[in-house]
Amino acid sequence: MTALLSIQAVTKVFGGLTAVDNVNLDIEERSITSLIGPNGAGKTTLFNCLTGLHTPEAGQILFDGRSLIGLRPDEIIARGVARTYQNIRLFGRMTALENVLVGQHLQLRASHWSAVLRSARQQAEERAARSFALELLAFVGLESHAEVVSTNLPYGEQRLLEVARALGSRPSLLLLDEPAAGMNPSETDRMMELVHRLRDEKGVTVFLIEHDMKVVMSVSESVAVLDYGEKIAEGTPEEVRANARVVEAYLGPEVVLQDTVATSDI
Amino acid sequence: MTPIRANGAIRNGLIAFAFLGYLILIGIPGRIGGAALPVLALVAALFFWVRLRRDASGTDGSFPQTASPTGKPGWEIGAPGHTVSQEQVMPLPGAGGALAIRSGLLAGITTGLLIAIVSFAFASAIGSGASIQPVLDKIVPVNVAALIGVSPGQIANDEVPTLRYLLLVLIFTAAGLLAALAVVAARVRNPQKAPVARLSKSLDSQLYRTVARFTGILLPFLLLAYIAWLGIPGVSAFGSNEGTVRLLLTLIATGSGLFALRLVRPGREQNVVAPLLALGALTMPFILDQFQNSVMGLVFIFVMMGLGLNIVVGYAGLLDLGYVAFFAIGAYTYAFLSAPFSSPYISSLLNLLAISPEIPLLGYWTALPVAMLTAAIGGILLGIPVLRLRGDYLAIVTLGFGEIIRLFMLNLGELTNGPRGILEISQPGLFGLAPQSFSSGFLSSQGWIFLLALISSALVAFVAIRLNDSRLGRAWFAMQEDEDVAEATGVHLVRTKLLAFAIGATFAGMAGQLYASRQINIFPENFSLFVSIDALALIIVGGIGSPAGIVLGALALKGLPEVLRGVDEYRIVTFAALLVIMMIVRPAGILPSARRRTQVAAPDEQALTPGAEEPVAKELDGDTARQAQAASPQSEAVRDKEDQ
Ligand SMILES: Nc1ncnc2c1ncn2[C@@H]1O[C@H](COP(=O)(O)OP(=O)(O)OP(=O)(O)O)[C@@H](O)[C@H]1O
Ligand SMILES: [Mg+2]
Repeated sequence: MTALLSIQAVTKVFGGLTAVDNVNLDIEERSITSLIGPNGAGKTTLFNCLTGLHTPEAGQILFDGRSLIGLRPDEIIARGVARTYQNIRLFGRMTALENVLVGQHLQLRASHWSAVLRSARQQAEERAARSFALELLAFVGLESHAEVVSTNLPYGEQRLLEVARALGSRPSLLLLDEPAAGMNPSETDRMMELVHRLRDEKGVTVFLIEHDMKVVMSVSESVAVLDYGEKIAEGTPEEVRANARVVEAYLGPEVVLQDTVATSDI
Repeated sequence: MTPIRANGAIRNGLIAFAFLGYLILIGIPGRIGGAALPVLALVAALFFWVRLRRDASGTDGSFPQTASPTGKPGWEIGAPGHTVSQEQVMPLPGAGGALAIRSGLLAGITTGLLIAIVSFAFASAIGSGASIQPVLDKIVPVNVAALIGVSPGQIANDEVPTLRYLLLVLIFTAAGLLAALAVVAARVRNPQKAPVARLSKSLDSQLYRTVARFTGILLPFLLLAYIAWLGIPGVSAFGSNEGTVRLLLTLIATGSGLFALRLVRPGREQNVVAPLLALGALTMPFILDQFQNSVMGLVFIFVMMGLGLNIVVGYAGLLDLGYVAFFAIGAYTYAFLSAPFSSPYISSLLNLLAISPEIPLLGYWTALPVAMLTAAIGGILLGIPVLRLRGDYLAIVTLGFGEIIRLFMLNLGELTNGPRGILEISQPGLFGLAPQSFSSGFLSSQGWIFLLALISSALVAFVAIRLNDSRLGRAWFAMQEDEDVAEATGVHLVRTKLLAFAIGATFAGMAGQLYASRQINIFPENFSLFVSIDALALIIVGGIGSPAGIVLGALALKGLPEVLRGVDEYRIVTFAALLVIMMIVRPAGILPSARRRTQVAAPDEQALTPGAEEPVAKELDGDTARQAQAASPQSEAVRDKEDQ
């Protein structure tokens, strides 16, 4: 069976810096794949290429057998690729519920005229959107916070809300950029449990960036490693852990920057 | 505690008196004329309101409430918007309400008594022929008479009825009461601010709430009745029947109507009160005179403009300084259709086609869709080149567009008749009736324009509110919050922005058409940059994103200056001072939208939302701290640097 997402020789250059260098990677449907690498390795840049925020200089990205290159971000999410952000980017002044409703923007079809006239169909659609949004908030555990303005949510819950917003578009592939960053251990556990439920209950394929090696090892079925924009390793967590180049990348000059978790686990 | 509060209230009264005394000494009442007393009372009420609001929220300590614990500064890194814990106990509105009303009354009485004493002293000094002129040069009969509300002759002859002084005291007391009620009503409306209070079912607080609410709801009707009564020939307010008094009352009545609309409970109460308020508004054009109607007509034309601009600026977050362009397009489109003979080019064209340019091509109503469509096309044409611009750049380019349209009108002499303008634009008719036939007796021609402006504004507000409450409104707001993320969440940026520009422009086109028929003759100078600035200022003053606020903004910015006509040379200064006070007191506008309030509110005001209870302690060390900081929605600089 062919991969859901196929990244082929993708290269992204910023001025003189090659942030993503000829990366090849396949992601199977209904898998959980982690992308790891030191700071500045180009992980977020690769996500940006996948979601249309950046256009790669070279290479091909196939999703469901169709190219994503050159599409606008809103066209890409319409194909079924949604994401969250490393630096939480919620619609700060909106409530949690409204954030998820914006996530469903593409699912809603009623015309603007019917919104002015509040036609029965438009009203029914809005009601359905609302109940789906509440369902998603419940799925990530935020059902009691639906009416809270999102900037006022605790940090960890903002991350959960980003996931709920992304789910609003009913994606088949979800890209999570450091979903557990800045979380305490119990919040991290909650997030990782959510990642599993995403796949098991919603059937979503998950591709995530993560720094915490313990998390990576426990959550993912396969792992890819980036270093200076290049993919230096790929395989099961065990294989990657044993890989000499990975150990070097992590224990090399980067060791000072990486915190203890990464080093102790490799 | 009581003596402290009483002192505070008396001090407020003294400060108000000092300020009003200064205004009296420089001769302001004489210049305002008949409206002097209400204007001064309003100024006092505004001042009392500011003070009471501050006292009631307990920030300056004169109403000692519970001290608010300050969050540890270090927490701001991890959990923004979380620095306030639940322990912060809010004052009870019941007790606070009684307190506010008491101190409002006390302050008002203090001011009123002092003003009465001073004016009595002045009046008797003048009446007895004492020469105070060399020292107090503005204390002349006209000035004092305006203050007391009698004719200058009565002052000179020393025959002021004593009851007048009592009235003075009463009016300022009423101002204090009004301010207090406004403070109480605001708390009733906003129970979120006082969560403790909602639970308390004490009779005391219930009573005050009910009284404040019903006063608020009844006020517009009482004012309207009074305005109608003033319209009867021979009746006067405070010895004066100048048009500005009625105008001021009309402005206040309209504004209080909006507040009343917010005070009613949804359900049966609303179903009864809202239609009555609408009916009341619709009777206004019939009871006002030509002057008041013409001012109110202009006010509501600007309401339409404000509502349209609000879609672009308030909902979609696109700062448009060239909004007058669409107003001009609407006005000129109707002008060409209605008075083709005024345009040399169009009349020669029509002559070629053997159509007489002497009669209008289209009537008001058939021209309306044309004007709206032309303006919408203008909106899209402006929108396309600025799609990629943000913030300041957008403002500058749109500013240029506004000027370009004006210069076109000025310099395309063949088409637009240049600075000589388009003359004799016809008035809107009704079902084939000529405007004169029904707008003579009971409805003046300006009243007819006012009525149309009122109805169109309501229509525009209806459309704007409904759109904002749909997926389009959410997309606009998402775009305003974070354009990139909105796009990555599925919002089609081009379509969404152009829709905002086009809908905003359509509303401006409607307003422009009505404006053209109100003015009868229009010139390029009617469409200067200042119209854009006025429209923008009124939505900022009123409260960006809030239609009710926009109406209040228009009443304040386009209506109030007409009341102050008498103080012409001080008009702009007075007005500027009012604006500055406004922005200090209510930085988010008079009636801000809920969203705006969250944004501008100080951190200690915003955190008391359900679910924000438990500030989770986080160990912020090393790498995690860095990421957490970068992720905080507030550190935008960091975010921009890192994410791109
Ligand atoms: N928009 C941009 N313009 C120029 N350089 C960029 C841009 N975005 C990223 N870079 C650079 O590309 C490199 C890769 O950055 P990227 O954000 O992808 O790293 P990362 O692997 O996500 O790191 P981290 O673990 O810190 O999130 C960095 O050197 C970064 O400075
Ligand atoms: Mg990154």
